[in-house]
Amino acid sequence: SGVWNFGSLLGLCLITQILTGVFLGMDYTSDISTGFSSVTHIWRDVNYGWLIRNLHGNGASFFFICIYMDIGRGLYYGSYLYKETWNIGVVLLLLVMMTAFVGYVVPWGQMSFWGGTVITNLLSGVPYMGNTLVQWIWGGFSVDNGTLTRFFGFHFLLAFVIGGGTVVHLLFLHETGSNNPGGVNSDGDKISFHPYFSYKDLLGFVIMLLGLTSLGVFSPNLVGDPENFTPGNPLVTPPHIQPEWYFLFGYGILRSIPNKVGGVLGLLFSILVLMVVAILHTSKQRGLTFRPVTQFLFWTLVGDMIILTWIGGMPVEHPYIIIGQIGSVLYFGLFLVLVPLGGWVEN
Amino acid sequence: MGRHFGDLAKIRHVITYSISPFEQRAFPNYFSKGIPNVWRRFKSSVFKVAPPMILMYLTYTWGNHVHEQGKRKNPADYEKDQ
Repeated sequence: SGVWNFGSLLGLCLITQILTGVFLGMDYTSDISTGFSSVTHIWRDVNYGWLIRNLHGNGASFFFICIYMDIGRGLYYGSYLYKETWNIGVVLLLLVMMTAFVGYVVPWGQMSFWGGTVITNLLSGVPYMGNTLVQWIWGGFSVDNGTLTRFFGFHFLLAFVIGGGTVVHLLFLHETGSNNPGGVNSDGDKISFHPYFSYKDLLGFVIMLLGLTSLGVFSPNLVGDPENFTPGNPLVTPPHIQPEWYFLFGYGILRSIPNKVGGVLGLLFSILVLMVVAILHTSKQRGLTFRPVTQFLFWTLVGDMIILTWIGGMPVEHPYIIIGQIGSVLYFGLFLVLVPLGGWVEN
Repeated sequence: MGRHFGDLAKIRHVITYSISPFEQRAFPNYFSKGIPNVWRRFKSSVFKVAPPMILMYLTYTWGNHVHEQGKRKNPADYEKDQ
């Protein structure tokens, strides 16, 4: 069905981000004294620079829309039972998150600087070597020029690491072939890629590019933070430091645990929990198509992630604190307890 | 690498029949059966999708409401003011 389009769409997103990113890199300077103004220069002076920057920034949002949908498809239809493909997919998710994080620091706006400061400081929770580790990552004693230059380099490099990971992801997928909404073996029912999937993927590309360009030209700042229109200033802290929307659910989980190391572990495990889903699969059926109890739990997970996304963008005040805590417990409870229980009940 | 046509599965005793595209309608009963089918598909999933979404919405509105209330002054705190 249509939800199988997100794999090829992710490939398109990667190519779009690399192309727009390479062009941005031709005029960007990764020094704190010129970084922010080089982005302004790209926007105002470079031919179609504004469009390239638009597509790159909003392209990141579409990347995450596609990756969350791809994961959702995988969870709903039990595609995670292709364990190698799934686990490489989790690695790809982590790589995409790392790329997006360092990429957001690059424009050196207020939120770039302060978001970078908050998240890199989390590494100080590592026992014994925490502070040394943070300063090693920073290349100094705070987020400064050393951090910016290397983060730009990491951002450029990681894009191609993702490309490599994608090849391995597809290598394993092609060993088994794709799953399907019925969750049944389809070896006896194959059709050629062209014209069926070539045209299906092309339609998906057209719809996604339509969405991306619409967002880019009609409402380019819809999901952005206005703080990033101000150059990064270590002497002025924004009142509400928050990441882009695609990280808010993790940010909500991080802040729900009133302990630095605990919060960091919660954030880490909110992604790594995906790696145990296959081990906890209890149902005799592969997907949720004929499993109403677990379907309800799936949609509860979707609602919970939306709540956690909302909470991640709210100040840490009542009643947002308790909602975030309940949401975090529910998130892990669904993966580790409720969904396996649902499968067992349905059996 | 991977699976190849001719090496996927062996299926015997399956007979398929087909009619030429020129002998049939392109979109038969598209609205007369399609619209009732949409309703059937909606009915079969609405009670699994809607409750979590409704709960989410209620949590969102309740949370914002309680937060707004918390920012207001409590008149009882100022009763003894002159």
